[in-house]
Amino acid sequence: MTSPELMHRSEVAVSVELQTPDMTLNIGPQHPSTHGVLRLVARVDGERIRDVEPVIGYMHRGYEKLAEVRTYAQITALVNRIDWVAGFANEIAFIRAVETLAGIEPTERAQWIRLILSELARISSHLVFMSSYPLELGATTPLFHALRERERVLDLIEGATGGRFHPNFNRVGGVKPAAGGGSTQKKVSSDLPAGFFAGTKLAMDNVLAVCDDIDNLVTGNELIKARTVGVGVIPGDKAIEYGLSGPNLRASGVGFDLRKHEFILPYDEVEFDVAVAEGGDCYDRYVVRLDEIRQSVRIVLQAIDKVPSGPLQAKVPRILKVPQGQAYVRNENPKGEFGYYVISEGGRMPYRLKIRSTSFSNLSILPWILKDQLVPDLVAIMGSLDFVLGDVDR
Amino acid sequence: MPDSPPERATTADDLAEWADGLAERLGASVISTEFATVRIAVARDRWVDTLRAARDDEGLPFFSWLSAIDWAKETAVGEGPAEPEDLVERYEVLCRLSSVRDASGAHFVAEIPKDDAWIDSIVPVWGGAEWHEREAHEMFGIDFRGNPNLTHLYLPDAFEGHPLRKSYPLLSREVKPWPGTVDVEDMPAVEGPSTENPEA
Amino acid sequence: MTTGLFALDTAIKVVVVLAAMLSGALVVIFAELKIGAHMQHRPGPYYAGGRFGWAQPLADGLKFLQKEDLVPNGADSRVFRAAPYLVVSATLATFVVIPFGPDLVVRDLDLGVFYLLAISSITTLGVLMAGWASANKYSLIGGLRAAAQLIAYELPLLLAAVAVVVQAGTMSLNGIVEAQAETFITVGSFDISVPFLLKGQLIGFAIFMIAAVAELSRIPFDMPIAESELTMGYLTEYSGIRFTMFFLGEYLAIISMAAVAATLYLGGYWAPFIPENLLNAAGPLILGAKVALLVFIIIWIRWTWPRLREDQLQDMAWRWLIPLALANIVIAGIFKVAF
Repeated sequence: MTSPELMHRSEVAVSVELQTPDMTLNIGPQHPSTHGVLRLVARVDGERIRDVEPVIGYMHRGYEKLAEVRTYAQITALVNRIDWVAGFANEIAFIRAVETLAGIEPTERAQWIRLILSELARISSHLVFMSSYPLELGATTPLFHALRERERVLDLIEGATGGRFHPNFNRVGGVKPAAGGGSTQKKVSSDLPAGFFAGTKLAMDNVLAVCDDIDNLVTGNELIKARTVGVGVIPGDKAIEYGLSGPNLRASGVGFDLRKHEFILPYDEVEFDVAVAEGGDCYDRYVVRLDEIRQSVRIVLQAIDKVPSGPLQAKVPRILKVPQGQAYVRNENPKGEFGYYVISEGGRMPYRLKIRSTSFSNLSILPWILKDQLVPDLVAIMGSLDFVLGDVDR
Repeated sequence: MPDSPPERATTADDLAEWADGLAERLGASVISTEFATVRIAVARDRWVDTLRAARDDEGLPFFSWLSAIDWAKETAVGEGPAEPEDLVERYEVLCRLSSVRDASGAHFVAEIPKDDAWIDSIVPVWGGAEWHEREAHEMFGIDFRGNPNLTHLYLPDAFEGHPLRKSYPLLSREVKPWPGTVDVEDMPAVEGPSTENPEA
Repeated sequence: MTTGLFALDTAIKVVVVLAAMLSGALVVIFAELKIGAHMQHRPGPYYAGGRFGWAQPLADGLKFLQKEDLVPNGADSRVFRAAPYLVVSATLATFVVIPFGPDLVVRDLDLGVFYLLAISSITTLGVLMAGWASANKYSLIGGLRAAAQLIAYELPLLLAAVAVVVQAGTMSLNGIVEAQAETFITVGSFDISVPFLLKGQLIGFAIFMIAAVAELSRIPFDMPIAESELTMGYLTEYSGIRFTMFFLGEYLAIISMAAVAATLYLGGYWAPFIPENLLNAAGPLILGAKVALLVFIIIWIRWTWPRLREDQLQDMAWRWLIPLALANIVIAGIFKVAF
């Protein structure tokens, strides 16, 4: 019974790993964790992902083609729907590009108001991250804390601009003067609502309190650390290669923040630190965003005292024709570098508008980073990249 | 991280000087540095080498985006170019590279004839370019040679046509012409609500 | 007890326990909704049944009853239909041995603990059936995870209970409560009895509770369900009355596990200063209070923490809980023999 062939065969059977066939798992487009209509065609072997092919374009609205048939003022209304979580931030780079090409200098007061609203948009976007990311890991409660404070911030934005998610507040040369403009109506007070700055201070105190709450609930939690530390590591040079920007880049050790280098808004007149982390894993991306909320609060509190008085919008012709030229202006959106390349051929509408959307580049690293990860880690990594499908698909 | 003193945006002259130096070292030529936007013309056959040199030697490693422009005399929608008679019809492929230490960046422009629309892919240099090239391919019809996966990104697989070309019409504008500055329709003529009981 | 016929006696006891436990499950469902809500700055249910929304579980039950009877197209129909009933009946069967008072037990088996743990592991089978028969890849992944997790955590559960059995000297649950009711120390004229929790089973209690939460597939061990990844895991294709069965089964199991933990570690229906003749009347209330405390802790954990990944929870079970539980048994044995 112990013939050499029999023994050899049983030895071989034990040393060969059990080969199981791969399963194609379709994640999305309707799925609790894909941040919108993202489809991932994943080939999984048990719990391990062999490879992932993202299928995007479910939300493609054709912004770049639409922009070719709209005047610059009309495009402003369109553009805050790209990254809808931080609506105001999308408008900034575009309106600055138009102002650059047209040679129109925005008023000081408008620039500061834009800065305050940009930072409020950043706080709002990062609070959404604080609420949805622990939820994807299974912790259901930080969602309510974060969104409760976000409501206060959104109330502020709504009070000033009239819209919570789509402010449409920027105009060429400044911001929108409040209601009452026009030839038939007398101009009523064309400024921010009464109590805006006091309300902002109050909201910032609440935001700091909730940051501490989330710190207690999430940051030191052993389970959160077990799920996110060392998961989804993106080295700095890979991040640069794929065009990752914003907190994703800064969590990988590359401390590049546009607010410290390009001053399309008066960021050089406020003091703040750039949040950087070295590891490049999911935990670092979370910690960087939490830190950025605190820094944004710091900026807002400084800016409130620095807003000068003056008109909200510079004098601009009613039908604006932008002279011929090409300009690229970029902004530090909450999710990263967001830019517009405007090509004007001297008309009322741009000849070509190229939108450099942050989440498109942030998401392009997904096939690389999801190789050989576990399915629960897929959810953790995708959540930590913090993308929005409107931003990806334009 | 300690705050470095904020860098003022370089003056126009500084920018022009920097761009000239960059173009000379790369063997390319500057198109313009107006509006703080540096544009450098690169020959199509030197596309990948120039960009690789910009990454390795010139301190522009960050791949920001890649897209294309369709220069056409006539457009199906929107306004056309400023001087259609002087325009040379072509595609331009633009790639923006920037630095991660300061605010410098440049746009590298390669001109491609419309009847021979291809260019080498830069995916071997930057992995992140794959999606950008796919998008430019489906929107303009430019072939990126060497791109490992040149399939539709945004558009459905069966989609025919290249939407961002100037010759591609917007269906809604075929049906209804562009309304002008103000898009307001007149209120429909209303006599006022009837106060009588309809049966009466 | 009352009538002479054994069969009638047992039937009455079974009906009473079933009714009481099913109502208890509804109460626990309501508690979970309300407690979770208040922990999140929300009011929770407040509409059904007036101000406190107490009728919410009833309203949900009625809603589920009138839903369409769906069986997915490629599903193994018989297995799919049978799975929820397996889970519920196995869970209900555990209540047979749980003592609510010295005489208030359906059947005080000598094999109490053994029977309990064996029967409750049949629910694993029901979960696997649900995951496989649903003809849905997400359900399959959920079922796979459930298989691994539930089987892995059976062992610490069992081993922790074995330590108590060693210390009590009997597997009968009534006997275990009586062992805890025995006088441990006499201080002056007071006879002090100490529950097993304080008699050296602290670690055993922790292991049992962790393993119990894992057996219940609740956060932090809800990989089989993992709502944000697998939609609902093995429960994805279940709707209507079948989902209600699973749902009720889960909450019945919560009560069951809490009751077992209370009996094994906290003294069950026994409390100090209650005279013997009143124990039958006060027993259910005492046990109820202890169960309520443990259920509250289970609910609290669920709303606070995230979930562990599959390999992390396997790690915890095999590398930490089982060796600790084994050590616990050895120590309990040494103390039992030496003292």
